[in-house]
Amino acid sequence: MGAAAELPAAEACLDRLLSQVIAEGLCVACGACLGLCPHLIFLDGRVAAPDACGLSEGRCIDLCPLDPAPEPAARRQRLHQALGSSYLPPIGPVQQAWQGRAPAADLQGKAQYGGVVSELLSLALEEGLVGEAVVTVAGQRGAPQGARARNRQEVLAAAGSIYAGGGALGELNRALAEPTDHPLAVVGLPCQVLAAANMKAHPRYPAAAQRLGLVVGLFCTMNLPARALRGLLKEEGVQGPVLKSDFPPPPAGVFQVWTQAGLRELPIAKLRDIRFPGCAFCPDLTAELADLSVGACEGRPGLNTILVRTPAGAALIERARERGRLELEPAAAESMAHLKQAAENKRARAAQARTERQHG
Amino acid sequence: MKALDQEPLDLIVTGVGGQGNVLASQVLGRALLAAGYQVTVGETYGLSQRGGPVMSMVRVTQEKVMGPVIPAHSAAALVSLEPLEALRVLGTYGHPGVVVLTNDRPLLPLNVIAGADRYPELAELKQALSENCAKLYWLPATETALTLGNPILANVIMLGALGATGLLPIGAGEMEAALGAMFPESKMGVNRRALAKGAELAAAA
Amino acid sequence: MADLTKLTPGQRTLLQGNEAIARGALEAGVSLAAAYPGNPSSEILESLADSAASAGIYVEWSANEKVALEAAAGASFTGLRAMASMKQNGVNVCQDFICNLTISGTKGGIVLVTADDPGSISSTNEQDARFIAKLAELPLLEPSTPAECLAMMRFAFELSEQIGNLVVLRSISRLSHTRAGVTPGPLPASRPRPYWDPKVAWHTLPTVPRHRVMLEKLAQAGRIMSAAGFNAYRGPERPELLVIASASSALYAGEARDRLGVASRVGLLKLGCTWPLDEALLLKHLASTEQILFAEEVDPFIEDGVKALYAQHAPELGVKRFFGAATGHTPPVGELSPDVLASALGQILGREPATVDPAYLERVAERVAALVPPREFGFCPGCPHRASFWAMKQVLAVDGRDGLVSGDIGCYSLAMLPTGFKRANAVHCMGSGPGVAGGLGQLRGQGFTQPVITTVGDSTFFHAALPAIINARWNRSDFVLVVLDNSATAMTGFQPHPGTGQTATGREGTQLDPETVLKALGVPCQVVDPYDMQATQQALYDAVQASGGVRALILRRVCALVQNKRGGHPYTMSVDQDKCRGQDCGCHRFCSRVFRCPGLFFDEAAGKAMIDPVVCVGCGVCTQICPAGAIQAEPRKEAAA
Repeated sequence: MGAAAELPAAEACLDRLLSQVIAEGLCVACGACLGLCPHLIFLDGRVAAPDACGLSEGRCIDLCPLDPAPEPAARRQRLHQALGSSYLPPIGPVQQAWQGRAPAADLQGKAQYGGVVSELLSLALEEGLVGEAVVTVAGQRGAPQGARARNRQEVLAAAGSIYAGGGALGELNRALAEPTDHPLAVVGLPCQVLAAANMKAHPRYPAAAQRLGLVVGLFCTMNLPARALRGLLKEEGVQGPVLKSDFPPPPAGVFQVWTQAGLRELPIAKLRDIRFPGCAFCPDLTAELADLSVGACEGRPGLNTILVRTPAGAALIERARERGRLELEPAAAESMAHLKQAAENKRARAAQARTERQHG
Repeated sequence: MKALDQEPLDLIVTGVGGQGNVLASQVLGRALLAAGYQVTVGETYGLSQRGGPVMSMVRVTQEKVMGPVIPAHSAAALVSLEPLEALRVLGTYGHPGVVVLTNDRPLLPLNVIAGADRYPELAELKQALSENCAKLYWLPATETALTLGNPILANVIMLGALGATGLLPIGAGEMEAALGAMFPESKMGVNRRALAKGAELAAAA
Repeated sequence: MADLTKLTPGQRTLLQGNEAIARGALEAGVSLAAAYPGNPSSEILESLADSAASAGIYVEWSANEKVALEAAAGASFTGLRAMASMKQNGVNVCQDFICNLTISGTKGGIVLVTADDPGSISSTNEQDARFIAKLAELPLLEPSTPAECLAMMRFAFELSEQIGNLVVLRSISRLSHTRAGVTPGPLPASRPRPYWDPKVAWHTLPTVPRHRVMLEKLAQAGRIMSAAGFNAYRGPERPELLVIASASSALYAGEARDRLGVASRVGLLKLGCTWPLDEALLLKHLASTEQILFAEEVDPFIEDGVKALYAQHAPELGVKRFFGAATGHTPPVGELSPDVLASALGQILGREPATVDPAYLERVAERVAALVPPREFGFCPGCPHRASFWAMKQVLAVDGRDGLVSGDIGCYSLAMLPTGFKRANAVHCMGSGPGVAGGLGQLRGQGFTQPVITTVGDSTFFHAALPAIINARWNRSDFVLVVLDNSATAMTGFQPHPGTGQTATGREGTQLDPETVLKALGVPCQVVDPYDMQATQQALYDAVQASGGVRALILRRVCALVQNKRGGHPYTMSVDQDKCRGQDCGCHRFCSRVFRCPGLFFDEAAGKAMIDPVVCVGCGVCTQICPAGAIQAEPRKEAAA
């Protein structure tokens, strides 16, 4: 056939990432391209590559969830197929839908909503299902960054959502490059879960396919650039490091920030002004390519909604129930309907943004 | 004072900044002056020390005062502390009668290290030199210097080799005396060995 | 350098041009010598410093050239002989003082030595500093050999005392850095005791009458110089072509004439005294020929002067044809050489210079073109500047606002090349880095959002950066000042400076550190070791992100070459060949291709990075850039504590 010969001259992978994602302002600092190679650097929530890499067959652009080249639906369809699941928008494949909480005392007040993510990671580590879990923690200047948790204590240290691009997948890449073979878990936003699926399906990333044992997705309202968020908080007079933050479900319309000084609420419009422009093109509210996804539970502040998507996700939930680590009840139909509606809305906005971008 | 076979006797010492090129040319200059000749040694350094090519020109006469720059294609001998620099300088100062002595140990230019340029195969380099000079001495000076304990001694080894070619109106004794005027006696043992090793290498070449 | 008082008078010795200048000053009885280092002038003061104790004179490295000349003038006012030496750029630094000193006049013999750099072998420009003589109406001497350097220095002090004014001696790189046989003369038995009669004042008022006196001094100098024997003619009585040349060009011209075999047709007038021009001598030789070629570096200084003289006397001299920079027979840029002048002579006289077999030339040229790549300048192995500019590159990239680096003069000027990741956006003169940055930092109100860093070396900081920093602090400019403190004036050969506390002669001085000065100015300041890449990047990023005012970062790590002399660096480096990722995705020769240290190369055959043990000094910095942790640093057993 000579298909390869008909391809246009290969452009350096890193050049494509720089020109089509970073220079276009699409990067959401998920970290998928980080930790693979020394060309890509990450500081204060920003990704940059000061030097040309010169390779055309690198993985960085392939793993990027913001690469605008592939058509989003086709890309997701292909990935679901590769992972043995089905592309079922607007909330993805759902084997089971629960709402519930982790009753453990050490989680109270630290974790977001019901503490389900922290408890599941802790359990997976304790029982040796995975050797390490890649999570996001607050790093330098309060900017989030990837970290690895090996036990319950380290999981708890990372508990609570950080709504800022933390490049956490860079830590996953670094973990995958190490000469060990224990399975890994990762917790991420929908963009990061898409990137994790890219890793697992990538022909030149065997370590990801073999070792990425558990992908926990988080529902995502909005992701924020660390630097801009810091600037906004400074402008708003929010002092000191952010301990925890939240976008409570509608109709709250606020962003909540906890610092040593207590809770502050900022109007959501201010956050929209500074969010990653790339987030506008994201059609995924619930991290459809995860093993299981976790988010807020409408009208029940102390609970999480849990969407179990794969056998691996189902097995972990089953184990957590058996051990009494989670208190679960089937998700309310009405709340599921609202979740689907919200997801459908995000999909529609993303499609429109993509159309507008393509037509100038 | 021995009569010179050619007047002026023009010698070039070249290499890369930091290899001790200036010292080598200074030893030659002192030794020749002590033997009664007029000597002019032109040195290039400064910014050139920072990894760039460096060159000294040594011009010897019986009476006449020469300028510090040798005209193109008229060096009697070319001593290079680095093989690539030997060919570079041969391009400007070489002629069919020139004698070339070069250290065979490459020092890679940064642009080669960066992958922007290629360092030639040593065999190619050696052939290009030998085909375009009267005699090539391709000498393992750095390797020999390492056996003496310090790669910097390659410059003195090359001087020893030059002394053994019969091109100079002076011998190893004069060069040793010139070195002795520049180094404390504690360092002269290894310098004497380096001179002798250089002479051996040239004799075997 | 060595103690030049130990030379035996009458015994020919191999001396560098700069050493001969120094010896000439010693023989003339110089009592104070001051300078700021700069290639190709540095060895003048270095050898005077090494001779200071034996000679019983005062020698200093000054904070800059203006201060050096002012110090020398002070000594002159007390009746002592004194000198200041510098490279061509330094003449600009003291130009204001020169143009006033020339009106006030001087007492003890005082000589300004400028070592110019035609071809810009080690400079940012190839400025022809001879114009200071014309500008300030001072006598100018141009030696052409080390022996003449010595003789002219002795003469220059005499001349200065006779006319009561400063004398300029101009060397060039090819002379300053040439060694040749020089026969020293005797040293003075004694020197005068300094005294300044308080009834005497040295100043420029009333200026116009004093200006007239100054011109008389210049005319008097001309008369003395014409009898000094530094101008000489060799050739036929009525040459077909007269070459008027100075400095090394006079030697090149003589050699070109001999090689072309035209000695009977070409006369060579070598001028050693080039301002004021010896009009009588020139008119005599102009009358003897129809054609004149000028050979001088760099600008047509003599050429234009002679043409002006000719214009004045054209009626009696008749029609002449002039060749030189104006006609393109000599290049108005770069150095001359015997070859350039042979070609000019050949062109004028219709002679082909003899050359070797063209087939040989063609063959060698082809081999060189095919096999010999250029050799880029670069920071030395272990140079802290490589790590510092690495941090600037990384930080400005991640900052993402198209940040700029306003560079300055020193080894770190090389940051404009790939060795510094092309992270110097402007490089001009000593102190211009913070000056330019200061202007940029005032454009915020007009929509200029790019962050600005300026880099100054430790010696540059004290030389000329301070006024710019004070200005920026006063007017509240917005930039990051990075002091690249390698505790040496590295570019010019590791001379001491105010920050090192040592002095030229090894006497204890007062050590001034940049952070104390900056703190006194109210500039916030942090000191970081550039070898610690993580810490440097963090500190630099924070400084770049902060805004408003000047904030400083001192990147302090001793020059690698100085460290080599102090017992070396701490590590023996190696690359774990199993861990090295080579050319694959995940690295692609990052260490050799991007970091570009001369000690770390890529072995094409093995497909892996390797340490060159002959080149690597063992600083250990590259361990921090390898993504695979393959570069290993083993503590060196014999490392200095």
